[in-house]
Amino acid sequence: MSQQNATAIARPKALSKEELLKNHMQAKPWPWFYSFLKKYLPFIIPGLFMVAIASALAVINPMISGKIIDEVIYKEQYDLLTKLLLLLVGLTLLRGLIRFSFTMLFEYCSQNTLYAMREAVFRRLMLEDFNFFNNNRTGDLLSRQTGDMDAVRHFIAFVIYQLLENGLLFIFSLTMIIFYNWKLALALLVVLPFTAYTTFRQSKEVKPAFRRNRDCFSSLNTFAQENISGNRVIKAFAKEDFEMEKFNKENAKFRDAQLASSRVWCKFIPRFEILSNIMTVVVLIVGGFSVIDGSMSPGDLVAVTGYLWMLNNPLRMVGWLVNDLLRFITSLEKIHATYIAEPDIKTPEEPVEMKQFKGKVEFKHVYYNSHDEDILTDITFTALPGQTIGIIGATGSGKSSLVNLICRFYDANHGGVFVDDVDVKNMNINVLRSNIGMAMQDVFLFSDTIEGNISYGDPNCSFEDVERVAKIANADSFIREMPDGYDTIIGERGVGLSGGQKQRISLARALLKNPSILILDDTTSAIDMETEAQIQNELEAVSGDRTIFIIAHRISSIINADQILVIDGGRIIEQGTHDELLKMGGRYATVFTHQYGEFENSVGR
Amino acid sequence: MARNKYDIDETLQSKFDLKQLKRLGVYLKPRRSKFLFVIVLMLISSALGLLSPMFIRTILDTYIPEGNKGGIVFLTCLMIGITFICAFILVLKVKLTNEIGQGIIYDLRKDLFTHLQELPFSYYDNRPHGKIQVRLVNYVNSLSDLLSNGIVNTITDLFSLIIIFIYMLLISVRLTLICMCGLPVLLMAVWFIKTRQRKAWQISSNKQSNLTAYIAESINGIRVTQSFVREDKNMEIFNSLSSSYRRAWLHAVLYNNMMWPCVDIISIGTTSAIYVIGVSMLTGNSDLMSAGILVAFIQYIGRFWQPVNTLASFYTSLLNAIAYLERIFETIDEPVLVHDAEGAGEMPPIEGLVEFKDVSFSYEEGIRVLNHVSFKTKVGDTFAIVGPTGAGKTTIINLLSRFYNIDSGAITIDGVNIQDVTIKSLRKQMGVMLQDSFIFSGTIMDNIRYGNMEASDEDVIRAAKTVCAHDFIMQMENGYQTEVNERGSRLSAGQRQLISFARALLADPKILILDEATSSIDTETEIALQKGLAELLKDRTSFVIAHRLSTIRNADKILYVDHGEICEEGTHDELLRMENGLYHKLYMSQYDFLNR
Repeated sequence: MSQQNATAIARPKALSKEELLKNHMQAKPWPWFYSFLKKYLPFIIPGLFMVAIASALAVINPMISGKIIDEVIYKEQYDLLTKLLLLLVGLTLLRGLIRFSFTMLFEYCSQNTLYAMREAVFRRLMLEDFNFFNNNRTGDLLSRQTGDMDAVRHFIAFVIYQLLENGLLFIFSLTMIIFYNWKLALALLVVLPFTAYTTFRQSKEVKPAFRRNRDCFSSLNTFAQENISGNRVIKAFAKEDFEMEKFNKENAKFRDAQLASSRVWCKFIPRFEILSNIMTVVVLIVGGFSVIDGSMSPGDLVAVTGYLWMLNNPLRMVGWLVNDLLRFITSLEKIHATYIAEPDIKTPEEPVEMKQFKGKVEFKHVYYNSHDEDILTDITFTALPGQTIGIIGATGSGKSSLVNLICRFYDANHGGVFVDDVDVKNMNINVLRSNIGMAMQDVFLFSDTIEGNISYGDPNCSFEDVERVAKIANADSFIREMPDGYDTIIGERGVGLSGGQKQRISLARALLKNPSILILDDTTSAIDMETEAQIQNELEAVSGDRTIFIIAHRISSIINADQILVIDGGRIIEQGTHDELLKMGGRYATVFTHQYGEFENSVGR
Repeated sequence: MARNKYDIDETLQSKFDLKQLKRLGVYLKPRRSKFLFVIVLMLISSALGLLSPMFIRTILDTYIPEGNKGGIVFLTCLMIGITFICAFILVLKVKLTNEIGQGIIYDLRKDLFTHLQELPFSYYDNRPHGKIQVRLVNYVNSLSDLLSNGIVNTITDLFSLIIIFIYMLLISVRLTLICMCGLPVLLMAVWFIKTRQRKAWQISSNKQSNLTAYIAESINGIRVTQSFVREDKNMEIFNSLSSSYRRAWLHAVLYNNMMWPCVDIISIGTTSAIYVIGVSMLTGNSDLMSAGILVAFIQYIGRFWQPVNTLASFYTSLLNAIAYLERIFETIDEPVLVHDAEGAGEMPPIEGLVEFKDVSFSYEEGIRVLNHVSFKTKVGDTFAIVGPTGAGKTTIINLLSRFYNIDSGAITIDGVNIQDVTIKSLRKQMGVMLQDSFIFSGTIMDNIRYGNMEASDEDVIRAAKTVCAHDFIMQMENGYQTEVNERGSRLSAGQRQLISFARALLADPKILILDEATSSIDTETEIALQKGLAELLKDRTSFVIAHRLSTIRNADKILYVDHGEICEEGTHDELLRMENGLYHKLYMSQYDFLNR
């Protein structure tokens, strides 16, 4: 069977009709965005009505002012003043109230839509598999959730109603002009195709600029992220100058990208400006000539010029709004691209029902490769419930990959991994992983209290449980020596703790789950041997019928295992108990001699 | 200071202070001429902008009644000309303001980054990294709008405000004074909103920082999260952070949106007052008032409140920006604890004679980590440091690179006190391999070369061969040019250690420090590695922290450290001879299991 086939079989994709439709809906950025916005339409539509009313009021207010000037001041109808003023003040208050309400309404909708979008994207991130995170930079993913989300916020909170407001003003003023003189209105419309064309060109040109802008932002973010987390190495190598030089480049690249997008904008903004002023010229020439020719009354022309600002402003705004709109679209596409990345590894449609595991683990002719590199080749073994499996082998020989396949962090390309005789690919991933306790080689601790870190797998557990597992992992005593004991906040990745301390906390964390299968991936490498021996004793006492996998380089860590796998170049080259392997006189025996030969010699056992 | 985590707001100590803006002025200074030029441009364009209404008036009032078509064409042509000039000025203005704004942002970010490079480990250790990042990237970005358009527009708005004010005074002093009655009301409103608004934006920026920190950490820790099936709980935390950010934002923006109606209402209030008083003066047949004056004044009053409105909205965005600015300057003001002494010289080429003289040290006041530690190496010695976890082993070697300042005593290298030389010249001669092997995204070649930028490809390969990394590197699809991901996620832990080992070697250090540098490397590789190293280490002083005794057995001297003190000191054989010694106990413990 070819590898492609194997992968295809590994991922059954039998989706229901509804889901297919839903997937189709969300395959494009816009429908996806709409699916969030939809919920707030009951707010947005009234909001848009309010915008319409406010724009109408914006038109009416100057009319009242005009009336006061004409009727009250020039025609001396002073008794009208109170009435008109009350109307003016009332309408302004109303407009202020409406405006305040709809701006808050749009903010409300934008924040809630954003909340839902952030949640959806974050949830998707939680589901993505290890390959996704290996191939995506943290800074990029972070940018999607910060800078790009902000462009979405701005769109809902501001651009939507601005579009309507300006559109309405334009249509309204044009209608009024048609009402006065349709020929003049027609002449004004000549400008529209040019405007449309300019808008089209601007959106074409500004989009790549924005995309580049976003890319540079991401790249700056990624660089900053790496610099901050690598600060120890940078200091140790006194490479601050080098980092600054690199940062300056990123910083300059971002600045230049920003300037480049503003240049595109510079190119188009004056065009809109000129187009909007040409409208005035058209009104004056066409209108002026018509008045002179007698086909239009002078009063009408004066009235029409009163509407010019309403006609001009929206045109002037087009450039800005196109800009904002495209910034939004670019960001939306970026966010969406992160969102639609389907994890390769997910729970099948109908997973095999399983609750408590017995702990039998079986590898049947498992092959796994990544980046065209064979990582594991033809791995076959069976671990019975309650057994301890030791795994030893050279650096990069595939030990961690092997245990990662049990948790289904990666999928085998060929062959199968079975837990309790069920292929892990047919299980609910969450059920599978809940039953496995893993202390990883890279200890990752969260910036949280020590208690919070240990109880990571079960945040609601009692303090006694935390204490109990900490004792097993031989961590209790050093934790108690810390200033705030279990409440001590440790830094991100556990900085401030020594390697051995981190490993012990991570071991305690894995133990707290009380898993059927416990995997210790090089968990004691930074722990001194005395402590390790104590931990082993404690572990043995509580292991019960747990299946335990121990990856280690020190023979002492795996000597009591029921089965030891010696891995080299992705293959199992030796397999057996400590004594069997020693007798075999192969690789294992060599390693043993290297580690303890001296003892054999000096003590002469 | 206690450590910060994702759900703790970082409280700001400083009070509202316009000094923040003054400091921003420092960044504006080098761009003064450009800035002034933009303002001049803006003034010209607003002056030109005043011409168009005049032309329109002339056309409507004079040319049309006269039937002067030529005049209409002439003036409209002039208008088109002015439009083009204004458009040109607009382009220049946008271009220049963006250059100014982006330039300031560039400088500000650069200063912030430069300062971050100088801050001690503790700064990074005490808060989630996402919170540092959000300051460096997002907060600085938030200033962009304020700096590019905000300042220039404000100055031009202020200018037009003054002009209009003068016009108003010229028309009618009395009406102007009435109009100004609105100002105290406005100031009161501004003052009322300001205090709340600043608070609200501070909270919002805190919540944003919390959320970002949590996202960043969640992405970094995703492997743990998935293996512990913690996705749902994390979603919960995320949602609660996300919703408090939403709440904070809505609260802050509420004050922003209050500003506009306030100005609008005050404006209509004063306008109404003008109407009432103006009209009453007209009916009273006052000499001071005529219909023409009143109408003219009313037209200006509209123009007066418009810039006031934009100024008010500028003010709100300023308050928003200050919340970020405070954070940025707070970071820039963070004291650098370890810095070069006044007049510090270069560290001369190191021979390798290291001495600790009665060194005491504590990370936090009152909690001694090292207690009167004294020891001395010979040139070319390999020093092994052993002892239980948390005994202070890593601290000793961290002090040697002067990552921290000691409380008392002295550390000398070749008789030179390390406090008296520049930090850079000291660290450049030290090769440190840390517990956490950090791999940068980039190629393997780049990662090794990080130790010495001038090294040739051959040098890099030689270093890789020395640490036995060459073989596995060559097996990867692009050999040394293979891109390893962020933190080297596609390498095994052992491979990462080997690469950072090669990196340390390439720096050609005079003193080599290996802090559990080989814990994830298998025994056979380690033996091969030690053979390769033996030659290299011959003339170099080295410090080794390790738990595998096969690694330390050959050291020239072994220090057994516990509770911040040196308990035993000597060669392997010497220490082993002390039957009741700690080292003896430690050494024998590794064979205990054989006798079990």
